[in-house]
Amino acid sequence: MRRHRTEQELIKYQFKLASDFRMEEANEHLEQCAQCREHLEQIRRKFAALDLLREEITVSDDLVARVVEQAQGGVSNLTLKKRLIRSARNDKWRWIGAAAAVLVVGLSLLLVFNLPKEREKKREFVKEPTEMEGEIKFEKGAEIRRAEGSDKGVPAMKTFAMAPSKEEARVGKAFGVGTSGGIAGGAMPEQPPFAPASAIELVTLPRRENVQLTIYNSADLTLVRERRNLTLKKGWNWLQFMWANTLIDPTSLTLEPLEQKDKVEIQQLVFPARLRELGRWLIRSETDGRVPFEITYFTSGLAWRAFYMGTLAKDEKTMHLQSYVRVDNNSGEDYENAQTRLLVGTVHILDQIADLARRQYPYDRSGPEGTPGGSVTLEEALEAPAANVVAFANGLAVGQQLELQPKEIKKEGLSEYFLYTIEGTETIPNTWGKRLLSFESNDISVKSLYKYDEERWGPQTIRFVAFTNDEKHNLGQTPIPNGDVKIYSQADDKEYLSYVGGTGIKYIPVNEEVELDLGPARLVTVEPKLMDFKTENYVFDSKRNVSGWDEVCQWQIEITNTRELPIEVEITRGFGTAYWQMKFDNKDASYEKYDVTHARFKLNLGPRGKRVFSYTVGTYHGEREQVLTELTRKGAAR
Amino acid sequence: MDNTDRSLIDAHCQGNRTAFAEIVRRYGDGVFGYLIRMSGSREQAEDLFQETFKRVHEKAHTFRGTQFKSWLFTIATHLAIDNLRRRRRVRLVSLNQKVDCDDGTCEGLNAIAGTEGCYGPSEEAAMSEQKEQVRQAIGLLPARQQAALVLAYYQQLSYREVAEMLGCSIGAVKTQMSRALRTLAQRLPDKSGEVE
Repeated sequence: MRRHRTEQELIKYQFKLASDFRMEEANEHLEQCAQCREHLEQIRRKFAALDLLREEITVSDDLVARVVEQAQGGVSNLTLKKRLIRSARNDKWRWIGAAAAVLVVGLSLLLVFNLPKEREKKREFVKEPTEMEGEIKFEKGAEIRRAEGSDKGVPAMKTFAMAPSKEEARVGKAFGVGTSGGIAGGAMPEQPPFAPASAIELVTLPRRENVQLTIYNSADLTLVRERRNLTLKKGWNWLQFMWANTLIDPTSLTLEPLEQKDKVEIQQLVFPARLRELGRWLIRSETDGRVPFEITYFTSGLAWRAFYMGTLAKDEKTMHLQSYVRVDNNSGEDYENAQTRLLVGTVHILDQIADLARRQYPYDRSGPEGTPGGSVTLEEALEAPAANVVAFANGLAVGQQLELQPKEIKKEGLSEYFLYTIEGTETIPNTWGKRLLSFESNDISVKSLYKYDEERWGPQTIRFVAFTNDEKHNLGQTPIPNGDVKIYSQADDKEYLSYVGGTGIKYIPVNEEVELDLGPARLVTVEPKLMDFKTENYVFDSKRNVSGWDEVCQWQIEITNTRELPIEVEITRGFGTAYWQMKFDNKDASYEKYDVTHARFKLNLGPRGKRVFSYTVGTYHGEREQVLTELTRKGAAR
Repeated sequence: MDNTDRSLIDAHCQGNRTAFAEIVRRYGDGVFGYLIRMSGSREQAEDLFQETFKRVHEKAHTFRGTQFKSWLFTIATHLAIDNLRRRRRVRLVSLNQKVDCDDGTCEGLNAIAGTEGCYGPSEEAAMSEQKEQVRQAIGLLPARQQAALVLAYYQQLSYREVAEMLGCSIGAVKTQMSRALRTLAQRLPDKSGEVE
């Protein structure tokens, strides 16, 4: 064992101040050295004293109000103190200041006593605006007041309700959410107010009550439905929605009251001229108080993808498959406690949502306005899916479910799409990704297969694992979405894993067979050798030019299996013409015509086995092709 | 940067008063806690808090970065360090010296400690004493070491973020932290405030 660690080294270790190398070194040492571990524990106990001052500190509303008021016109205490200190440092300037003050006071007194009476009249005249100041003060109060239920430090997502303009407040109209000067019991103006285009005074809304995300994987498209409780005043209310720095498609915005629908009416959504990245809803309310609303829109920047991990048993006859989904959020918006639904299926959209979100003005695209997507409209996307709910995690054994407690992902049929709903809610902050287990299945029967096809993969053998997505294979509960799959195999009795290969899979419907391409195989080789070649049966035309001939090739195929397991091999050979005939006589292997120009051989090899077979293929060219056609016809007739 | 921050700053620059209030509320707790720990006095922290947000109000239009929080804490840090240096020119407190509570220091401490109601009078006094020792131990650190410690340990910022706020390299932050911790190891009370 090397030397003991000094206190300073242990402090650096504890607070992660050392380099990675030193940290690792210290870690290794601590694993072996009880004395240093004890010393480290003492250091931890000592520095635990720091936690005595860790209590939560909150700033008072009064201080916040003071800061806001002072920042918008006043002078801070500290600035004031600094000024006082500066002035105190220089007695000379203080005395000059004092003398000047005396002079000013004297002059003021002189002026007051000599003011003409007309001036007094003028002063009386300006008293009226002073009364209006009371209203302005009231508005200031409204500005800094938090909307009821809003969460401190977490503002609502760019959604604001407007306080009334000063003019409106003066004439007694009640517009906007959150003003205390409503007209409860008063007459509601019939004409909607004009939406001011300038910067307006805003009151933040309460945070989202809940939010649901439906994320499509075939397009950069997510449907967001969020619920917020707005406090409405009787009359006209303006509600502002800002989407700056997000990827929200403003043309898809909708707002619906969830209660008191007969008393609350959404009149219009306005995109004020010259103001970018904001829209304002005009809401007519016949009721005072809190009303839950649902805001719905499309956004881009949220994506999900599936990926899989398969572990082959030692005999490679069965596989354990784990499926995960990863949700990534780059939409510019945090989604807290969101119910997340993942949609599989191809959707057709006219415009990319991200492009719509980045446009200068919401409707500056020529052509039809309205929904952003051609095939997918918001209404369609909002349609409730069919009720045929199937647990997606059925592949799990009961014990494993208890142990892992994965969030259940439920699958629903939605038209020609499939919808997976993640159990519970997820918080997905902007720029974060999250991985979730979607299902797990044991003992899936698989077939290990090696394929050789020079035209597709060149002179190498490719390894495949095949299985079917059906109940017989402990699957088949749901279609399997596109995704990457990595296959491991158990290398020894200690269940250490070794990486076998990886590939991407496409959407696998129920009862469909899938072959996973695991890449080139090193332990199984196929070597074709051309043993003989000749041309024969030449035909000449009237000018004695060659117009037809046959080519005869004799091939020898050598297959070597250096693995300890029996294998199945499939060899595909192409002939470059549809006019070919094969002579093949081998009991250990079979051959079939795969397509018009290809033949396929299938054979099994034992562990560490080697096999050689030969075939002769004759191809017909030019006028000789007709000869083969006639031979085939005669054969068929017989 | 949190997009809401950017929106709020833009709204503030366009003259929206509520946006500024929202910024203060959003970061108020964090900044105030930081300033209390840096100054050790609620009164001073309130002054610094006001000054910090006054500067934010005035200089928001110059903010071009991506991390508003870093920018805000940089302002608060500069003010807090200036305040510490100015204060230290006037008065230094020894660990063994009895604390004069007339200057509001105890108030600040209690604001951090929140001791009321949990323990009996003797335990409360013991804990209060330990807290005072910790506060003083931190308070006697050089300004930049203190800032590095408070930002990294209490505000739980990464060393990278602390480096941004202090305008130095990560290595320099680690050095400051290392020195601060070495000093604290000598000065902190042995018990971690456990009350029996």
